Amino acid sequence: MITVVKEGPKYLVADVTITEANLSNSDQFKAELIALLDKHHKFIILDLQELKYVDSAFLSALVSALKYAISLQLDIVLVGLRTDIRDLIKLIRLDKVFKIYNYAEDALFAVSK
Amino acid sequence: MQSSATKLQFEFSNSSDALVTSLQYMLGHITANIPVNADADDLLFRSKVIITELLTNAIKHGGEVSTLFDIEITANSLNLKKTDHGTPLYLVSNHKHSSSDQAENRKLISADPLNLLYAYWENENAIRFISEESSIEDFLSVEQVMEHFGILIITRSSDEFTYTYHKDTSSNIFKVRIDF
Repeated sequence: MITVVKEGPKYLVADVTITEANLSNSDQFKAELIALLDKHHKFIILDLQELKYVDSAFLSALVSALKYAISLQLDIVLVGLRTDIRDLIKLIRLDKVFKIYNYAEDALFAVSK
Repeated sequence: MQSSATKLQFEFSNSSDALVTSLQYMLGHITANIPVNADADDLLFRSKVIITELLTNAIKHGGEVSTLFDIEITANSLNLKKTDHGTPLYLVSNHKHSSSDQAENRKLISADPLNLLYAYWENENAIRFISEESSIEDFLSVEQVMEHFGILIITRSSDEFTYTYHKDTSSNIFKVRIDF
C-alpha cells in the first residue's frame, strides 16, 4: 500500500500505491505509515498521485499518523494530490496542518533547506 | 433500483466492497441530470464527498438491513436522503429537548483549532448540523486536531444537513440539500 521509492539522509519519498483509500483499508494504511516512521525515523514525503478516491476514514488515518510523526519531531508532507482530494483537504482545513506540494521535487527542496 | 429523470432510489448493501461502484452509480445519475443553472463541477464535487461519507456512515452504522438512498434533483436543489435501521445517533438518544430554551437546544459537538461543529435540536428526534471555522489558528497544535471528519465534511459541503430518528419505524434519516 505504501512503497518507498527514494531515501535520503533525512527523508523518505513514498508512493501510495492504492487508488481507493477508504474505511476498508485506512487502518492498514495508518499502520504502514507508522511502521515507516518507526523504522526509518525520517521525514516522509507521501506521493498520493495514484489516489483517485478518499474518505473521512483515510483522512483520519493521515492525521493520526501526522500526530505520531510530530511526536517524533518528524513530519509527513503530501504531494501529487488530485484536485478534488486537495479541495476536500482544504474544505476541512487540513491544509493548515499538512505541508502540501505539487511534486515530490518541490517537497524535497523545501525539506532540504 | 428505480429511476426517473429527476429521482433515483438506490439500495446499498452496507458492504464496503460495494462502496465505490455505488458512489459511481449515484454520481452517474447526478451527472446525467445536472440542471443548466447549476455549477456542474461544484455540484459534482459536493455530491461526491457527501455521498462518500453517507456510504461510509452506512457501512459503519447502518446495521444488517440495507440502506436506502433517495436522490431528487429539482430546478433549484439536489436533495439526498439516506434511510437506515441501525443504532440511533448518540446525540438524539442523549438529549432532552427544550421547546422554550434555544440555548439548551444548541450544543457544540466538536471543536478543534480548525473547525467548530454544532448540533441544533429542532425537536427531540431531529438535529440540524452547522459548522464554523475556528479562529485560533495562531495557537494551532496538530495534537488538538480532531480525527473524525464525516459529519463535518457533509455539513461543510451542503446547504442543509439534518438527522431525524423515527421511533415508529426505528429508522435513521439523514437529509442533505445542495442549492444551485
